[in-house]
This record gives sequence, structure tokens and C-alpha cells, in this order.
Amino acid sequence: MRNRNLSIGVLLSAAWLFILLFFALFGPLLPIPDTLFSFEDSLSVGVFSPGHILGTDSNGYDMFAQLVEGSRYSLLIAGISVIVGTVVGSIFGILAAFKRGIFDRIANALFSVVLSIPNLLLSITLIAVFGSSPDPSNPVPPSRRLIVVIVSLTIVIIPIIGRIARSTAMSWSSRDFVTAARSMGMTDRQIIVRHIVPNVLPALLAIAFLAIGVVIVAEGSLSLLGAGIGEKTTWGSMIARGRAEIEYYPHILFVPIAAVAFTVIACNRLGDEVRRSLDPREARL
Amino acid sequence: MSNLLSINGLSVEFATTRGNLRAVKDVSLNIEQGESIGIVGESGSGKSVLSRAAMGILHGGNVHKSGSVIFDGNDLFSLSPEDLRNFWGTGMAMIFQDPMTSLNPVRRIGTQISEALRIRQGMSKADAMAKSVEMLRLVRVPDAEATLKKYPFQLSGGMRQRVMIAIALACDPKLLFADEPTTALDVTVQAQILELLDDLRKSLNMSMVLVTHDLGVVAGHTDRVIVMYAGEIVESAKTADLFANMRMPYTEALFKSIPTLDTPTGTRLPTIEGRVPDPTQKDPGCLFSSRCAYVQEKCKNEHPPLMAENDGHLYRCWFPIQVRSNQ
Repeated sequence: MRNRNLSIGVLLSAAWLFILLFFALFGPLLPIPDTLFSFEDSLSVGVFSPGHILGTDSNGYDMFAQLVEGSRYSLLIAGISVIVGTVVGSIFGILAAFKRGIFDRIANALFSVVLSIPNLLLSITLIAVFGSSPDPSNPVPPSRRLIVVIVSLTIVIIPIIGRIARSTAMSWSSRDFVTAARSMGMTDRQIIVRHIVPNVLPALLAIAFLAIGVVIVAEGSLSLLGAGIGEKTTWGSMIARGRAEIEYYPHILFVPIAAVAFTVIACNRLGDEVRRSLDPREARL
Repeated sequence: MSNLLSINGLSVEFATTRGNLRAVKDVSLNIEQGESIGIVGESGSGKSVLSRAAMGILHGGNVHKSGSVIFDGNDLFSLSPEDLRNFWGTGMAMIFQDPMTSLNPVRRIGTQISEALRIRQGMSKADAMAKSVEMLRLVRVPDAEATLKKYPFQLSGGMRQRVMIAIALACDPKLLFADEPTTALDVTVQAQILELLDDLRKSLNMSMVLVTHDLGVVAGHTDRVIVMYAGEIVESAKTADLFANMRMPYTEALFKSIPTLDTPTGTRLPTIEGRVPDPTQKDPGCLFSSRCAYVQEKCKNEHPPLMAENDGHLYRCWFPIQVRSNQ
């Protein structure tokens, strides 16, 4: 059907995300050193050192191994919170736009309230309240901490997606074809599923892809502030540790930063592509 | 009397921040089985609101409707939304003004025609598609099978309007509202679409309400014409009678502003000076008085009722134009 060539950028982006996904899923099965095994005779060696393709950090931990483990958690957190946030946000946003009235006002007010709180502050607060324990000898289990981090990031995503879903759905639901569908006896539900969603979806998917990047960065910020998932390595926690040694061993900082940057760029590029290919008007141009 | 639709004292108000906007004022009319009615008026005269209110698709918290609309013996305003929905598509259907926006841009033509059939008539996908091809042939779309797979943006305006007609007629409605069906189309296509609507109406024994601002459009395609101004019916008559014996100065002014071929080049086309009065304001006199060429003192102070002549010709004017006397 479609004979449009994918650009190099799109292919590279897809390839990068594919490789990431591969390492995230099969990392533990691959011959990669343990993240907590210290190579004591090669501390802080640079990139492309023999045996350590991305070097080691000042503890002698292999950077590549950390990056792989980091991708597991960074992608897990980003994936779940973006998927859940997008689904919940879209449902509320589209319903608000379609039902209008009191439901719309409540949904919109909630979105505004959440949006008005700085993301990081909101996440840190949630993590402090639900994901940490005042008693050092009885810390919260890591799984609970992980869930709290994911939930707190999801709460950040919902109003962002919800707002866009609402405004996009609103502009579509005032179109003539919605009135036409209604005048043919379609129910609101049928109109939403058949007419609103297909039109709103491309924009939402593009934003969702963007949000993956945002969440990866946000998770990094949380780790940097010590409010990350704790025990396990994420890209954010790698950045947090590498920060101290930027003057002497910049690669410890730049390796995770590059991973974050490439991932964010790849997500944006693919999001754009998804939007375009879902829109028949643009796809055929 | 075989009234398919009767509208009695229908008024529609919209609550706005500037006060109540009275879009339709005390309109009554009857439509018989197989009859074709034209509703004419300039922008803002309430003709689209009237047709939507009559169909019952006007909704929202700020809409206030009074009066009654009886379709096929059922009072539409007293029905629940679910019951009302049963009349849409199968009882009444509507064609919209702009074929560019009244089709969903991201769905194929075939899906859009067949979905009404599948939802309303419970057809299988294959049956609905077969019926869709039949409908497209009925509205004279060339190469109907290929068109099913196309997206709206791949069709011209005229073809899209044909698709809209196919959708509207898919469930065999008894009454078709055509809300300025040809306004967005160019003149040659306009003639084809009107011709098509006329043929379909006769062959399917359907009633039609043709809403337009163009007196030329209603002339050849309607049995009766209703002229609306500022939400009111100002004149109503059989089409031939209306064109021969205009009573209301507004109708005459509308008629005069149609360009004709026999006026010499360089002649200024007459227009109606001024604008439709603010629908949020209440005026004591005739609503057309501020723009009327024959205005008198009485017109400014007293609102004229709808007056009837023997043959059912209705008009709302204190000083109706006499037959060909002052032209």
C-alpha cells in the first residue's frame, strides 16, 4: 500500500530502540560482567578499553553492564508509566471533551491541579510519603519503591496526555461528520470509538512517544536527587554517580547521558513517523 | 392530511453570555409525504437551526426548545434520547453543507457508508458493503467499487457530497433534510447534485426539506417555499405562487439580488442594506423594518402577525406588495 521510503533517521531510531529492547530483555542471559563486580586493577578506565567497551567507573564496575541493567529499569519505568498514563489520560480527556458539562469541568480542574504542581516535586512527595520508611532498619521493599516511582510518573503523564486528548477530541467532536453520524442514529459510544478515536490517536501516539523521553529524563532527575528506585541501577542513578567525577573521568557521566539522549531523540523521531503513517492524508503525500 | 412532519410553534433559544439568543421564533409548518419544501433565508435567519431542531439533533445545555415537532405521529421532544435515535437515519436523515468536513477524514468511504447499515439494520459486513456499492451507484458515483476503498481527501467536492447523500439515504429515510447541500460546490456540480436529489426524492417517494440561501435553487426543485428572516417565517407559499406574487418586501429584495443575464453589464447588483437584527434584542416592530424599502411608521412599532390568503399563501407584512402593482 504505502511505498514511501523511511528516512535514515527513522531507521536509525528504530534500530536504536530495538537494540535497547534486546539488551533490556536478554541482558541477564548475555556474557556481560555483573554490575557489582569490581575490576580492581582497572578503575575508571576510559571508553574502548580492552575488556571494557564503555570503560569502568571509579569503583571498577563495568559501564556497559550498568548501562544494560539501567536500560531494563529505565525502559520498564518509562514503558509502564507512559502506557498506563496515555490510556487513562486519553479516556478521561476524550470523555471530558465529548460529555462536556460537569464531567469536563471536574476532569479539567484535576488536570490543571496536577499540572500546576512541578513534576519533580510531585514525584518526590509521593515517593517520600509512600515509597520510603522513617525507620532505617526497616526499609520499604524495593518492589514497592519501584511501583511508587512508576505510579508517581504515571500521575505526571495523565494530565499531559489528558489535556491534549481533550482539546483534540473537542475540535473533532464539533465537526460536521460527528453531527452527521449522530443524525444517522449512532450512539455516543459508537461515535467516540469510530469517529473520534481514529482522529485523535495519531496526535496522542506522537505525544506518548515524546512522553517516553520525558519520563526517562524525569526518572533520571529523581535518581539524581536520591529519590529513584534505589538498589537497582538506572540511567539516572548512573548520571548521579558520574556527576561527581566529571572533571577527571567524564566518560562515567557521558555514557549514560548519551544513552538517554539517543533514546529521547529516537522516541521523538519515531513518534513523528507513527503520527504521519496513521494519518491517511499525510501518508499518501 | 398525510402530514409526515408537523412543527407547531417551535422556538429555539440559545443561552449565551449576552443573553438569550432567539434563533427560531414560533415557527409552524407541515410537511406531507413526498413533498419537497424549500427554506430560504440569508445567513443567521435560523434556517439551519430550524432544520436541526426539527430533526432533534440540536442538543446541549444552553439550548432551550419550546413548541412541538410531530414526526409520523410521534412527539419528538417527549421521546427519550434512545427512542429518538431510532428515528434518525431510518426516519429522518440530513445532508450537511460542507462535504469537506462532513466525512471523517481518516476512514474509508466504504466503512463510512456501511457503518450506518451495520449499526441500524444489523447487516453483515459483506451485505453492508454490497449495499454501499449499490448506494454509490444510485448517487451516480463512477467506479463505485474503487471508491469504497478511497479516503475522502481523494474525492472531489461533488463526489463527496454524493457520498454524503448515499450515507443519508442508506437506511431509506422518509424525510431528508438537505442543509445547504450545494453551497460549497461550484455551479455546474450544484446543478447535478440538485438534479440527483430531485430524482431520488421522486423515485423513493421521500419528503425533502431543502435549506438554502439561494432562491434560484428552490425555484426548480421544491413544491413549497418558506422564507425565513431573523428566526421567523415571513412568507410561505407554493413555489410558483411565491415567484409570481411576492407579498413580503424581504422576499422581493432577496429575489432582486439574484444576478441575471439580461441586466446590462456594469449594472450594480441590488443588495439588501444593513444586517439581520441582533437576535438577543427584542424589537417591538417588524424585524425587517430597519432594512425595508417600503417601511412605514406602523412597521416600526407593531409586530405583524402571519397573515393568510385564501390559497394558503402566508406572509408577515402590514403593507404587502400588491400583485405586480409597484414594480
